[in-house]
Amino acid sequence: MVLRKKIILGLVGFVTFILFLLTMFPFFIVVVNSAKASLEIITDPLGFPKNWAQLFANVKFIWTNPSIRYASSVVSSVIITLGSLATITVFAAMAAWVLVRTKTKTSMALFLFFLSGLIIPFQVVMFPLVNLFSNIYKVTGIRMLRTYHGMITAYIGFGVPLAIFLFHGFIKSIPKELEEAAEIDGCSKPQIFFRVVLPILKPIVVTVVILNAIWIWNDFLLPSLVLGVGQDVQTIPLAIRAFAGSFVKKWDLIMTAVLMAAAPIVIIFVFLQKHIIKGMVSGSIK
Amino acid sequence: MDRKKSDRFYFWLFLAPALFGFVLVVIIPFIMGLYYSMTDWTAIAGETANWVGLENYKDMFTSIKFQYSFVRTFSFTLFSVITINGLALLFAFLVTRGIKFESFFRAGFFVPNLIGGLVLGYIWQFIFKSVVPSIGTLLNIPALEEVLILASPNLAFMGLIMAFTWQYAGYIMMIYIAALLNVPQELLEAADIDGATVWQKFKSITAPLIAQAFTITSFLTLVNAFKQYDIIVALTSGGPADIYKDEIVNSTELLAVNIYNTAFKYNDMAQGQARAIIFFLVLTVVSMAQVYFNKKREVEM
Amino acid sequence: MKKILALLLISMLVMVAFVGCGGEEVEEPTLDGDTTEEEAVEEEETEEEEAVAEDATEIVIYQNKVEIHEQLSAFAQHYTDETGVKVTVKTAGGDTPYAENLKAEFQSDRQPDIFVIEGMGGYNTWESKLTPMADQEWMDLTDLEFTVEGETYGFPVAVEAWGMAYNTAMLEEAGVDPAELTSQEAYKEAFETIDGMKEELGIDSVVAMAAGPDMTWVTGLHNFNGYLSAGLPYGDTTVLDKLNNGEADMDRLTEYADWVEILFDYADPTVLQTGNYDAQVGQFGTEKAAFIHQGNWIDPWLESNGVDFEMGFAPHASVAGEHDAIFIGAPSFYVINNESENQQAVQDFFNYMATEEAGHEYMVNEANMVPAFKNVELKPKTPLSAAVTDWLAKEDGAYTWLQNDMPDGFGMGTLGPIYGLYASDGIDKAQFIDQVKRAIESIE
Repeated sequence: MVLRKKIILGLVGFVTFILFLLTMFPFFIVVVNSAKASLEIITDPLGFPKNWAQLFANVKFIWTNPSIRYASSVVSSVIITLGSLATITVFAAMAAWVLVRTKTKTSMALFLFFLSGLIIPFQVVMFPLVNLFSNIYKVTGIRMLRTYHGMITAYIGFGVPLAIFLFHGFIKSIPKELEEAAEIDGCSKPQIFFRVVLPILKPIVVTVVILNAIWIWNDFLLPSLVLGVGQDVQTIPLAIRAFAGSFVKKWDLIMTAVLMAAAPIVIIFVFLQKHIIKGMVSGSIK
Repeated sequence: MDRKKSDRFYFWLFLAPALFGFVLVVIIPFIMGLYYSMTDWTAIAGETANWVGLENYKDMFTSIKFQYSFVRTFSFTLFSVITINGLALLFAFLVTRGIKFESFFRAGFFVPNLIGGLVLGYIWQFIFKSVVPSIGTLLNIPALEEVLILASPNLAFMGLIMAFTWQYAGYIMMIYIAALLNVPQELLEAADIDGATVWQKFKSITAPLIAQAFTITSFLTLVNAFKQYDIIVALTSGGPADIYKDEIVNSTELLAVNIYNTAFKYNDMAQGQARAIIFFLVLTVVSMAQVYFNKKREVEM
Repeated sequence: MKKILALLLISMLVMVAFVGCGGEEVEEPTLDGDTTEEEAVEEEETEEEEAVAEDATEIVIYQNKVEIHEQLSAFAQHYTDETGVKVTVKTAGGDTPYAENLKAEFQSDRQPDIFVIEGMGGYNTWESKLTPMADQEWMDLTDLEFTVEGETYGFPVAVEAWGMAYNTAMLEEAGVDPAELTSQEAYKEAFETIDGMKEELGIDSVVAMAAGPDMTWVTGLHNFNGYLSAGLPYGDTTVLDKLNNGEADMDRLTEYADWVEILFDYADPTVLQTGNYDAQVGQFGTEKAAFIHQGNWIDPWLESNGVDFEMGFAPHASVAGEHDAIFIGAPSFYVINNESENQQAVQDFFNYMATEEAGHEYMVNEANMVPAFKNVELKPKTPLSAAVTDWLAKEDGAYTWLQNDMPDGFGMGTLGPIYGLYASDGIDKAQFIDQVKRAIESIE
């Protein structure tokens, strides 16, 4: 009996391993081909590179090439992603908290109002959004397009519906006692929120942050409209698009660029994966 | 009274940032979009939009290319939902059996989701164009060596599904893992004692719990498949040409791509906007219907 | 924490090890030019931001030729040193869509002083923002400025041309005389001969031709331009006008389809159906094809990939009859934003580029462009650009570039897929003709 279980388990493990290799195959291709020069890729896409040092030549090239501006796009991506994550998380948590704790018709209506954002596809607002942002400049002199704050504002708008949804569900399951106790102790509302509630929200905050981080870091369409391809402020996908489009499929460099775009987030993921998976698994049921 | 006032104040204060962002970035443009879809807007500086009523909508419905794009998007969505959920369930099942290195495999299956659509499209384009033929050469399979996946409408379509599945299966797997882990062990053990077979256990205990997860996952995969843009642009640029109802169409130009191209390639932003509105309506109806039916099934199970 | 540190340490050691071994074989990657401006033809170019003039005047140019960004910037710097006027060059290129960038730019706040339009399509869109230019020095030096109804709006950036580029040595070996390639019959014969010698010549196919989804500009714009202007006197727009009125010239179209058939029949199927720019130019560059359907803009690619065989241009036999000209034109123009505050400074800059040595040096030797100005004595060194100057100097050596005057999106978006389907045998020649005819007739 025990042996039978062991065999089955071994089989399962084997199958899983094969599937795992297949899933990793595209990454293998990217890594291996990033270290090849142009012609080698065309003649031998599957094999191991002749010379791994080529990878560094390629990486250095992309990193330093002024037309690609990779380094600055990494910085921009980091600023925009972190800025958006912080604001979306805090704003959504704040909103969700008062929506849950205030049991009125208004709050229910507002909650559904936010939810409607989940269904509105980006396509239907993208053009008018650009139009609106430019009109804001014309009327108020505040620049929205091609700016960091404009981009982050856009992400807030698109990110809070899902975040509020997730926070709402989670907060509902938190007993009010703690908050009530804090109130009796004389804490003000903001204090209650930031000192008492927010720490409890950690698991769902992890989920919200991860989901939004993946989306924002890799997002292409929205930044292409708000920031514009080839403009001053570029995120990594925009830089890659400007580059892959313009230098028309030099696969060696594209592969390297792909590697450099994916690497940061994969590395972070690998280091944090225990937490991330725990957060996702627990958060998604709610 | 003070308390109530203060409550009201904080209610709106805490709500304000999120509400402001949302209304500004989503709601207002949406309403503007409704208006623009009924004009001849081309967003060129200095040109005012003239009201044309429902003309854009009429044009849209008579456009064979648009109809085709619709059909393709539906079919892509249907297939993707099946492949992604099937694969995700398989993965989730495998990594919850208690094998060694489970968390490593879970992480591994999830990693494709970290890659953005655009980058992913380029990777798979390379795979289909260069790697597949090389594999064919290696294994001595001429058919594989010579196939031009991205030149055939159907193969390119399948390639697209494959790339998209690769991206999403891991993410959906997470949700199924959560569901599977929620299956109460005691129930399963009790069923074992009662002599239930694997299939019976699955049917009566595991499946109903999965059903709940399935509602969520089918909603997510459906909505995401419908909206695909990045991958298509990078992988096929809208795809090899095909012929439909005697008109030339692009075989992988799904709705989101079609909308974007209408607006920018052909410079018809009002038409693009109108198509986006219809896109939104259809998506809403379909996803609501899907959730409704799934919830019903959940209850029945 | 410890684990993380250990991991970092190991990766650093690994990196050092790699850098240590195999240092010599590393190739320096290069970025060559590309035909991005072709791909951008459908879209408008983006404008750039106008810098606020603080002390010195500053002109901002937003242009779309990625391959000359560095050279233009260097020239701009030289201009600044000479005149004190600051010139900032901003560039965006590739298949990145300009249209929304451009419109979004206008919707935003800052506008450039100089931007780029290509043909009537661009003019129609931006006419309300253009300054007409008059009595400028450079205007006497060229015939290729962009004019509408007698008013000049555009400064020609460069002369570009395409034809059937061929590998001189290969044609010699095959016994084909390029001077005789002047008609469809002549080409058919020559292609058959060369095709029969594929093995000896070491080629995959006679022609390097591409018709896939990424290359719709080659088919729907350039190749189709043959239908619009081949065989017609320079500047004759009868066929184009008919097209813009939704009328197709069936006789001409049928002859033209024969030419497309010839090209497709003798092309390599992989390159034809899924090849991108690299694959197509690569086929010609690695001498796996005797001809290529491209223009002198492929020179930078060839140069950076070490291609150095002799080559020249032969005419396209797009329709019946004898042909002795290639398609030459100035596809893109610098235009002046009529809301710019630096009108005079911009005019000065244009004149400088056209009349001064430094300007000629930049245009010909640095940017490898064929200049549009008659006073330039320098000749481009790169093979195809040099060939273009030869054809330019010939009497009646040019057919007109008209494809940019078709409606937005028509060439690449509407016609492109038709070629693609024909290339993959999804439709036959008769259906191809029919589809193109219907596409033209749908223009209103």
